[in-house]
Amino acid sequence: MEELLKGNYKVTKNIEIEAEEKSENNLTINFKKVALNSIGGSMVYVERNTLVWEGEEEAADKKNEIKSS
Amino acid sequence: MAKVLLVNPVVREEDIPRHIPYGISLLASIAMKKGHLVQIYDANAWRKGFDVLEKVFRADDWDVIAIGGLTTTYRFIKKAFQLAKKNSPKSILMAGGGFITSMPQDIMGWIPEIDLGLVGEAFVTFPEVLDKIDRQDFNFSSTTGVVFRHKNGKSYLTPAKPVIKNLDDLPYPAWDLLPLDIYFKNSANLFSEESFTAKRRMDVNGSLGCGLVCKYCWHLGTTGDMIVEEDKAGENQVVFTYGRNIRYHSPSYIVNMVKHLYEVYNIDFASFIDENLMTMDAASRGIWLNEICDLWKEKGLQPTCRQKNIPHDEDCRGVHWNGTSHAGLHKFETLKRMHEAGCTHLVYGLESFDPNILKNLGKGSTAARNKSSVGICLSSGIKPIPNIILGFPEETFDSIKNTITAMKELGITAKPHFATAYPGSEWYYSYKNSIIEQYEGDLEKYIAELGDASSISATISHHFTGVELIGLQEIIYKKDLRLLALAEKNWHRNRKQEQINYPQDSINFKSKSVRGPMEAEGRTF
Repeated sequence: MEELLKGNYKVTKNIEIEAEEKSENNLTINFKKVALNSIGGSMVYVERNTLVWEGEEEAADKKNEIKSS
Repeated sequence: MAKVLLVNPVVREEDIPRHIPYGISLLASIAMKKGHLVQIYDANAWRKGFDVLEKVFRADDWDVIAIGGLTTTYRFIKKAFQLAKKNSPKSILMAGGGFITSMPQDIMGWIPEIDLGLVGEAFVTFPEVLDKIDRQDFNFSSTTGVVFRHKNGKSYLTPAKPVIKNLDDLPYPAWDLLPLDIYFKNSANLFSEESFTAKRRMDVNGSLGCGLVCKYCWHLGTTGDMIVEEDKAGENQVVFTYGRNIRYHSPSYIVNMVKHLYEVYNIDFASFIDENLMTMDAASRGIWLNEICDLWKEKGLQPTCRQKNIPHDEDCRGVHWNGTSHAGLHKFETLKRMHEAGCTHLVYGLESFDPNILKNLGKGSTAARNKSSVGICLSSGIKPIPNIILGFPEETFDSIKNTITAMKELGITAKPHFATAYPGSEWYYSYKNSIIEQYEGDLEKYIAELGDASSISATISHHFTGVELIGLQEIIYKKDLRLLALAEKNWHRNRKQEQINYPQDSINFKSKSVRGPMEAEGRTF
């Protein structure tokens, strides 16, 4: 295990880090960091993983429907 | 003895960890010498996130959890204190370093979890408060150099703690408590061929503070620049001044420390993190750096490429080094000796090539000196790293033209920093009202957004908006005088002539020399 804490005595509890979760997180975090540092021109980054669109277009359509009826 | 956890916050999140927490490891060393039980969690090196930080807080029954850093680490520190209170509610939560020294009363208000703040130099204050905590004495009203929280929740700032007289009294930092392999992995940087090939680079510090009075700078209350005075409401406030207590380690302390690092950690590069080596050399009347160079060679640290006068390659042995310089204070003869001893590059805060800006800056340099410094440094064999700033209060199209013209002449390519008013600096107090206005009344938001001045926060330019400065930064980077002329033409056409950022007076800054206190000789750590 990596020695996260360093000192002149041994601490009471070990610090456990779940390896898989850690590496997955690290990959996501590292990718985001590198991608954001490269932004420019065609290099863009989308932060979301999922997005359900409930935006203006639909709302405007509904408004028009009401008007025409 | 007190069980202490020291946490180094994440610095410059967008970059890899490059610099060891020098002050924190020094404080750890001092506390251990006094017999305390000390652990360091270097969050900046590990970059494991807040989940792991919570586990660290739960790893022991800490008497004290101490977190300190520069103002630019404020966001991390605030969250860290919240998590410390949640996970280790019985610990005394202690703050230190630049972020609390520059604005102790504000910070105590914004982070109610903090019990005690160490304001200014903590070499004496830290062991003193640990000793009190050991004795279950939690009354800090007579301890100088702290801001403490009363039972009623209100914070009180005590008078300034005298800084120590002799830096050589300090022990070496507790390097063994740091994850050095992470820092060694990030040794290489792009300032010189030698630093680019560094495999085991380590930071060292030879001095504290700087004799200059640049309006953008401040000195963490460690250089005689800080006193404490009552404001009109009768509350103690930190006051920063032009007062200076110049202190530097002896050449033998510095070179012996580097020799120790060479022998024990096999370092190949030493980065001096001093504010400005040349101002210290000037204070020693030109003796200090020459002695360091002589001892560097005498102790066998001179790199083999410099001994044999051959090009540097990866087989080179010895210790290369770098530091900071000043266009008005450097001397060719000293630079030459520094190069012989292994110095590879020197950072010069040239800031601008405009006479009017330099005259008002307090830097003690001129456009002519700035221009000549590049050639002088290059001819010594050392690479100059000139830093440029954009967005000074007096910045105009003419000043930018002067800077671009000089950059073209000297062959400099730079994307300038934006002029930024960090808490503690003269600029901050002069423009505080304007900053608050630009952040819609939320000063804490400004503090939380402060980074390394490579992006826009609040502007202090009397003529240009943030949007304009971003465009002008690009023009300077491209050294494009045609685009600058076009921008000026449009600016005059569209500009509503008004000035918004008037400087103001402040209780927290005196533009005169009032020295902070300093101890007499004879401190034992």
